[in-house]
Amino acid sequence: MINFDNVTKVYPNQNRPALQHCNVAVEKGEFVFLVGPSGSGKSTFLRMVLKEERPSQGRVYVAGKDLGKLTNWKVPHLRRRIGCVFQDFRLLPNKSVFENVAFALEVIGKPRRFITKVVPEVIDLVGLDGKSHRMPDELSGGEQQRVAIARAFVNRPMILLADEPTGNIDPATSIGIMKVLDRINRTGTTVVMATHDAAIVDAFRKRVVELEDGRVVRDQSRGVYGQAY
Amino acid sequence: MRLYFVFQEIWIGLRRNLTMTISLVITVAIAMALFGTGMLIKKQVDSSKTYWYDKVNVSIYLCAKSSSNPDCAKKDATKEQRETLVATLDELPQVAEVQYEDKATAFKRFQDLFAKTPGMLAATKEGDIPDSLRVRLTDPSDYDAVISAADNAPGVDQIVNERELLEKLFRILGGLQWAALFVALIQVFAAVLLVGNTVRLSAFSRRRETNIMRLVGASNMYIQLPFILEGAIAGLVGGCIAAIMLVGSKVLLIDRLQESLQFATQLTWTQVAGVIIFSMAVGVLLCAGASFLTLRRYLKI
Repeated sequence: MINFDNVTKVYPNQNRPALQHCNVAVEKGEFVFLVGPSGSGKSTFLRMVLKEERPSQGRVYVAGKDLGKLTNWKVPHLRRRIGCVFQDFRLLPNKSVFENVAFALEVIGKPRRFITKVVPEVIDLVGLDGKSHRMPDELSGGEQQRVAIARAFVNRPMILLADEPTGNIDPATSIGIMKVLDRINRTGTTVVMATHDAAIVDAFRKRVVELEDGRVVRDQSRGVYGQAY
Repeated sequence: MRLYFVFQEIWIGLRRNLTMTISLVITVAIAMALFGTGMLIKKQVDSSKTYWYDKVNVSIYLCAKSSSNPDCAKKDATKEQRETLVATLDELPQVAEVQYEDKATAFKRFQDLFAKTPGMLAATKEGDIPDSLRVRLTDPSDYDAVISAADNAPGVDQIVNERELLEKLFRILGGLQWAALFVALIQVFAAVLLVGNTVRLSAFSRRRETNIMRLVGASNMYIQLPFILEGAIAGLVGGCIAAIMLVGSKVLLIDRLQESLQFATQLTWTQVAGVIIFSMAVGVLLCAGASFLTLRRYLKI
């Protein structure tokens, strides 16, 4: 589903590469934790899957397609098949829960009828039933992140990328968020989650890819956050 | 394409940048009004030019008792003098026709021409306008030969080349037209800069939305269209105001010029409508184009 083939990324005006000689293959339906300290290249990894950055060397394949050969014109179509969740939620403050989720479908031109049918289903899926007319500032952090997940998932993407989704949320609430991500993973969606949260990684026992200074230093199925001795 | 959604976004964008939008509309309106006025004057001048240049003559005024030219020596030109002159002129290849106009006919024509200005009529009596030869040329711009032939002939008081008079007038109007177009150009420049600023503000105030649109895979057109249409709508509103101003300049400027200058042709409303449509189209395209170009700088795709 996602395949990094010897990928190196050097940002302009920086000597140290953000990623170097990175080889990672993620299969369809997998749940992968991307761990490592700040600046280790986790976000760069996720941005490359979206083709927000292009590799300085090497190739990135998503769903069998070489992103280097994907024309700019087709990038939006790639992104429609990838959902994104961030640490800071990125909700629109002047839109209700329903409108925030519907926005993702409106801007890709889905018909109104489809939106009114699908959006409530996804809001239920993330556990926000009955709150679809709340505004973001009336929700807790955990609830806001659920809205963001609903928005990322509403178009049924094949991949869900989560960049520290629990970074702004207390541990108890984080468990709830992880359950939602797990539920999404069970529908067959590949989930890649970058995180610092050792407790969550240890509790879930999924595949762990650890980055350090842009290198993959560990790739372990059913791993834990810290090095397993 | 969900039109309702796009228009909602445009409305939000225009409202958020209301003051910028207003200044943009005003600038576009003034630019397009001046541009259109320049075009109207040009159309008027062009059509009057062709009309008049076909009709202008070289008038050769013959000596009369009242003429101040010392060569005339306070005497009427004799019949022989006149006939010799007519014969000389007729032989020139540049001359199409020579017509003799006596004092009575000249006065009658004068009365017709100034029928609307009774003051002029009251101050003039028959005999004030001397006999003249009206020389029609085969090519109105080729008048040198006629003038040199008549210049020192006996019995000639003065030669009036009507074309030269007209050219002076048209030069003034031409200057007016270029002045209008020049100021319009400056305004267009200001409008382009304003569009750039408006788009920058608009892109900044909507950066959350556009970011999310990008992430969920909205097509570039979907992301850019509200901005471009914002510019286009401001251009259209400006163009409408310009249209009103153009109607005003037709009624207040061109028609008045026409009355006082006796333009032979009147600018039709169809021509005015053509100018209005053209300048509105220019306004809309200008704003839409400028926002499209500045978007590339301020909106990451």
